[in-house]
Amino acid sequence: MNYKNLADKLVTRSLRKGAESAEVYIQTGRNLSVRVRNSDIETIQEAASSGVGFRVLVNGSMGFSHCNDFSDKALDETLEKAIAFAKLTTPEDHNTLPQAKDHKEVEGLYDPEIAKVPMEKKIDMALELESLAMKDERISNSSGASFGERETEIFIANSHGLNKSLKSGICSMGVGVVAQKGEERNTGWESCVRRYFSDLESLEKIAGTAAQKAWELLDPKMVSTQRAAVIFDPVVASSLIGGIIAAINGERVLQGASFLRDAMDEQFASELLSIIDDGTRPKGPGSKPFDGEGVPTQKRILVEAGVLRSFIYNTIAANRAGVESTGNASRGGFSGMPSIGTHNLFVAPGESTPEEIIASTQRGLLLKGVTGYGINPVNGNFSGGASGFWIENGKIVHPVKGLTIAGSADTILKGIDMVADDVDMNRSFTAPTIRIAEMQIGGA
Amino acid sequence: MSNNNSSQGISRRKFLELGVKGGLILAATPPLLTHMVSCSPAMGHTPGLDMDKGTLNKVIARALRNGGDFADVYLESRNSRQITMEESKFKSGLYGISQGAGVRVIAGDKTGYAYTDQITEENLMRAAEVASYVARNGQSIRPVDIAPAKRQSFVSVKHPLEEIADTRRTEIMQRADQAALDYDPRIKMAIIDYNDQVRARVIANSEGLYLRDELPLLFFIVQTMSEEGNNRHMARERISYHSGFEMFDEHTPESVAQSAAREAIAMLDAEDAPAGIMDVVMENGFGGVLIHEAVGHPLEADNIAKGIGAFTGKVGQKVASDVFTMVDDGTIPNYRGTINFDDEGTQARRNMLIEKGVLKGYMTDILSANQLDMARTGNGRRESFRHIPIPRMTNTFIEAGKDSPEDILSSTPKGIYVQSLSGGSVNPVTGMFNFTCREAYLIENGRKTRPIKGATLIGSCMEVISNIDAVANDLDFGSGICGKGGQSAEVTAGQPTVRIRGINVGGSRA
Repeated sequence: MNYKNLADKLVTRSLRKGAESAEVYIQTGRNLSVRVRNSDIETIQEAASSGVGFRVLVNGSMGFSHCNDFSDKALDETLEKAIAFAKLTTPEDHNTLPQAKDHKEVEGLYDPEIAKVPMEKKIDMALELESLAMKDERISNSSGASFGERETEIFIANSHGLNKSLKSGICSMGVGVVAQKGEERNTGWESCVRRYFSDLESLEKIAGTAAQKAWELLDPKMVSTQRAAVIFDPVVASSLIGGIIAAINGERVLQGASFLRDAMDEQFASELLSIIDDGTRPKGPGSKPFDGEGVPTQKRILVEAGVLRSFIYNTIAANRAGVESTGNASRGGFSGMPSIGTHNLFVAPGESTPEEIIASTQRGLLLKGVTGYGINPVNGNFSGGASGFWIENGKIVHPVKGLTIAGSADTILKGIDMVADDVDMNRSFTAPTIRIAEMQIGGA
Repeated sequence: MSNNNSSQGISRRKFLELGVKGGLILAATPPLLTHMVSCSPAMGHTPGLDMDKGTLNKVIARALRNGGDFADVYLESRNSRQITMEESKFKSGLYGISQGAGVRVIAGDKTGYAYTDQITEENLMRAAEVASYVARNGQSIRPVDIAPAKRQSFVSVKHPLEEIADTRRTEIMQRADQAALDYDPRIKMAIIDYNDQVRARVIANSEGLYLRDELPLLFFIVQTMSEEGNNRHMARERISYHSGFEMFDEHTPESVAQSAAREAIAMLDAEDAPAGIMDVVMENGFGGVLIHEAVGHPLEADNIAKGIGAFTGKVGQKVASDVFTMVDDGTIPNYRGTINFDDEGTQARRNMLIEKGVLKGYMTDILSANQLDMARTGNGRRESFRHIPIPRMTNTFIEAGKDSPEDILSSTPKGIYVQSLSGGSVNPVTGMFNFTCREAYLIENGRKTRPIKGATLIGSCMEVISNIDAVANDLDFGSGICGKGGQSAEVTAGQPTVRIRGINVGGSRA
């Protein structure tokens, strides 16, 4: 099927049926997932699927519908539902679709080799990954290893003449293992996600990391409730920056539901904190040349040396704020309405090494695992469960589990006093090791 | 946020944002039922599900041609509506039509699965071929020709959702918005999400089973934001039933909104929570997410069958205190977690999980029941045709005890009173869980006093159920979305007021 033409045809049909402007978003895709456990296949899942989402405006009101049936009858029925639903919603001047604007292609988003690798090889890689992770004698069980791949093609067209398409793919490997000592169990997992098959990390490295995460926290000791430094390892960075990103979502800012709503151009965090969102990085796992409604993506500085520089917007939120879209419309597939999100978000690396940060910490927690919701974007509070290592006099002394950590965004973000250089740019939401001078730690 | 890193590794379970109280109080759990048998009438709007039985037999036979112990076909059609109101405006309306089918083959411990969006014989045969890959060179069974089976239904509908004009839906939302804003001038905004769907499913398998039914689901969420000076709080109340539009007669939009507004105002004055180990009294209803996470997930049989779950090999053993009895029940009339039969066709039932502290059993799907040589408990659920069934909870709760909630509070000199939680998660292998409080208070001298900011509660599942020392007589339920292995499922979690001794609380002051 020629989806590019179909998208245009459906835009025309929307206008004929009464929409004053219309957008058609078609997505087709294929995915494969192989899971192995105990040296045998556990599940193989494979599917191809596709669907279409309609967004229409009728007298300034917006309606949305989707279906995964491309028969004419189903498409007509779905489109009519979008128009009917538009009549239910409140008209707004800022409800518009984006103009067609040229974008620059982003290299390295599709690797045709992934699909050509035979199924047997993918199964063998997962089996090999599992057996490597089980090699360490401290590991008692496997919870399985996997290989996954996904290939997606999207087509966006709207009544302002926009018609864009993008083919992309991604592959991943992962493994989870259990380390056991007496009644005590600990799990460890590691995954690797890449745009290109040949860029996947060595199985030894992925396996080794998973195994280490499982055994390194065995034999934890409790510490007392106290205030001390907390060092966020890169694996828990998202708990720190997730709340900031939710708080600079332009729509939440407009609604007042953000602790950063009045912080533009203010020093709300330590000078050591800079945050950048980049949709244009070649091979980036979150890269795309244009966002979920066809607006070109950018490399954009959100926080510069602790000063808030930008909120993030899609077209409608930007109209309402009286600014330009930042190309941050995100879309969870054809069935989702465009919301606001980041592409490849990273905290800029600092000058220290993680080892230097540990060595310069008199007493504190090296945080390896955190549970909970991170920083609350509405009021800035943070509270979570914590595990990792206890540090005394610049040295790791023992693992810790079952602790809590808490603080306010203000004390946490202004309290950042060291940032390391170890940011993993192969992840789409990533940060280096970061130290907070002091947080409340709950223990015995 | 675009984060591609979460799909791999151990399936971590997250009970996503479990909602506030369901509001219905169950006096006795085995429900008094008017018997309803689920031989649904022909459903005109789901033609894709009319695949004839001869074709389904052929697909099942094809799925088992290479070998295998079991095969099934799952056809699904779902029509859904989602309307959002923010800042007193109808921001968006979404209508979705989705259909598709999946074919599964089980061969020993292996599962093969493939699905298609277009329900045609050709696509189903191709899916069967892909799914049969795992059974290569295996032993094969001979499938039994399918024939319709009967299952008891626990869902009744007075006003079918398809017959409700959309303006009645928006009117409900408007009433909620108005009630929230009228509650107090410090309520600055309400966000109202109205969701409904009708899911029709056909299940056919190599054991000769053929089932077809249709489940409506309503899900209504009100969030309110309060503001005073520099303090802000976002509160939430959620109501959900497998029901027709009559749900709003019993649970008026005003009552839902007022409940969310009450929390938003109450928490404006919240002060920093203390940190460290303390006693916790958890109010009835919503706190059921605690056992959903801490005990429910570890009792799902998949990790038990793998030999890595925290409760592996403990059936018949004392695992909790004498006052602790826990049940999963997929038959409570119209509840959000009620399923009639699971997505593998097994009749829903009431399953005793822990009785007076003794572990009685696990929640199984077909695969884990075979692996453990246990009965099928009716817990094999799937998010949609794009997913394989896995063991999931339905309506999970702590049975009512004998204490009065007032006595429990007054006999607790010092601690935290938790009125609602945002949600939590558990690692089912280690049993370590966490919860985030949304509305909580200090307990001082046996009385609920000052509100405290969202603290985290953490602990291990084995410890927490041994440390529950008081269970009240006021069982109540809350509605939630449970996430596991990349699939979400609608559930309820319930509990009476309970006291847990010695939980680690994560506050920001010493």
